[in-house]
Amino acid sequence: MSTVAPPSRRPMDPAVLVARDQEDVLVGNEIIRHKLSSRVLHWVVAVTFFGCVFTGMPIWTPVFGWMAHLFGGLTVCRVLHPWLGVAFFLSVLFEIFDWASDMRFRSDEKGWWGPKLIRYMRWEEVDDENVGKYNGGQKFFFWTAGLGALGLLLSGLMMWFPQSFPKILMQLAYLVHDATFILFMVAIIFHIYLGTVAEPGTFRSMTRGTVTRKWARLHHPGWYRQVTGEDPRRP
Amino acid sequence: MSLDIRRSSASVWGSASGMRTAQVVSKYIDTTTCIGCKACEVACQEWNDLGPVATEQVGTYQTLPTLHAEFWNLIRFNERDFDGGLAWLMRKDQCMHCDEPGCLAACPAPGAIVQYANGIVDVNPDQCIGCKYCETGCPFDVPRFSATTGKMAKCTLCVDRVSVGLEPACIKACPTGCLHFGTKQDMLELAKGRVQQLKGNGFAQAAVYDPQGVHGTSVITVLAHGDHPEYYDLPVDPHVPWGVKLWKTIVRPLGAIAIFGAVIGAFGHYMNHGRKGVKGADAHDANLPDA
Ligand code: HEM
Ligand code: SF4
Ligand code: SF4
Repeated sequence: MSTVAPPSRRPMDPAVLVARDQEDVLVGNEIIRHKLSSRVLHWVVAVTFFGCVFTGMPIWTPVFGWMAHLFGGLTVCRVLHPWLGVAFFLSVLFEIFDWASDMRFRSDEKGWWGPKLIRYMRWEEVDDENVGKYNGGQKFFFWTAGLGALGLLLSGLMMWFPQSFPKILMQLAYLVHDATFILFMVAIIFHIYLGTVAEPGTFRSMTRGTVTRKWARLHHPGWYRQVTGEDPRRP
Repeated sequence: MSLDIRRSSASVWGSASGMRTAQVVSKYIDTTTCIGCKACEVACQEWNDLGPVATEQVGTYQTLPTLHAEFWNLIRFNERDFDGGLAWLMRKDQCMHCDEPGCLAACPAPGAIVQYANGIVDVNPDQCIGCKYCETGCPFDVPRFSATTGKMAKCTLCVDRVSVGLEPACIKACPTGCLHFGTKQDMLELAKGRVQQLKGNGFAQAAVYDPQGVHGTSVITVLAHGDHPEYYDLPVDPHVPWGVKLWKTIVRPLGAIAIFGAVIGAFGHYMNHGRKGVKGADAHDANLPDA
């Protein structure tokens, strides 16, 4: 017989317990933003992505040749990279199924690529109190990252088996793999910057799974209203 | 013979000090006196200790349909109908040892492909990572990946022989004298003389194949039908593929700048805009109050 202590006497953080399988709910003074499975999936995406980055970049240019030592040399990188790439693509695919419903664009979220993005990065208010669980910029990044993963997969598969394709297409594959990777790197640098130092309290949503009320009101007031039923403007 | 390295893959420089001058060497191939005896094929296999490769019967005298990781020297047999009858064109196919080698330009592994000061383009199997980029870079379809070793392999122009003053094995074996080896200049002289002879013998289109798109090669070929290199399975105007140049000389440096730029940009953003929603000098994550 299993002995599960009643919540009151079990020395366990109730938010963490609830965050195992629920999200978008209020526990105490915190809101659960990502349930455990979503967090694990995102870390799998992150680890496989950086596996690809650190095995791909030393092959890309000797400027990053030192990265190869993390894996035991360039030959190891060359063998590992495509497998990590396939793992990366598959985990992105799962993440798309996991998050797609929250990532649908609303009609008022047009134009995030451009003026709205710049205004956002100047910490000006964009879409005001309507911002839901994800803002337009996050949605835009989500879908382009999915597209980028597909581009890396297709060009990467060609680079894995170059003999199966005409040489003219191979030239294109190398260019597509490089261009997609470069754009991905620039985007991921800002993704990480925003998720850590620039917007304090965000990183926790990927570890503990929770955010504070203040964080939710500031960044995602529409979501706050939806989860708590309170007005984000007048706490 | 100097083995100074003029160019090395994925490296800024080779190791050539510039103190010694190395003559650029070249093979000379006269397709018009080749009789297709394949002595050069055997000599190459023997000298380089290459294993036997099972052939494919496709109704030709050609030993294999194409070059192979264990078969670096192949006489190609092409039949062509002309007004006057049939021409049986034989050409010795191998690495051309380009002055501007596309394989070297594409190769990502430092030192895996080197070009010696004497023009020979060689592979260092210990540095090769088997990525096959060189296949796309080569305009002559020469590098071959070996599934057994996981490395690329191709003709070395017998650099091990040449460096001790011997001629390449294929040259030594040729019974008709259609193959010669020497400095590029001498071989060009020889070729020009032979082309003049051929022109006198009714081959008005005879020419030396030393494609300038790759700044010339260290294998020069005399063709009776010089206006049609494709009759011999040779590219008409070979050059390092534009996609490879764009990839290595433009996309790569711009990409590196973009990536470093993004890091600097994020740092600059932090200094210029600070954190979103945080006020006060020592405000940090834990300082964000609830409700
Ligand atoms: C999605 C599946 C992917 C596959 C199948 C794949 C496959 C490949 C292959 C076969 C190569 C050639 C080197 C080798 O043989 O290992 C390569 C190179 C490379 N990959 Fe990937 N890859 C994938 C994803 C990624 C990702 C996610 C990144 C990083 C964002 C990445 C970055 C690179 C880089 C920088 C190179 C070197 C390119 C160059 O030399 O110009 N790849 N990839
Ligand atoms: S023929 Fe091909 S393999 Fe040989 S040097 Fe030229 S590019 Fe390299
Ligand atoms: S297969 Fe070897 S020689 Fe060819 S490009 Fe890759 S590392 Fe260089």
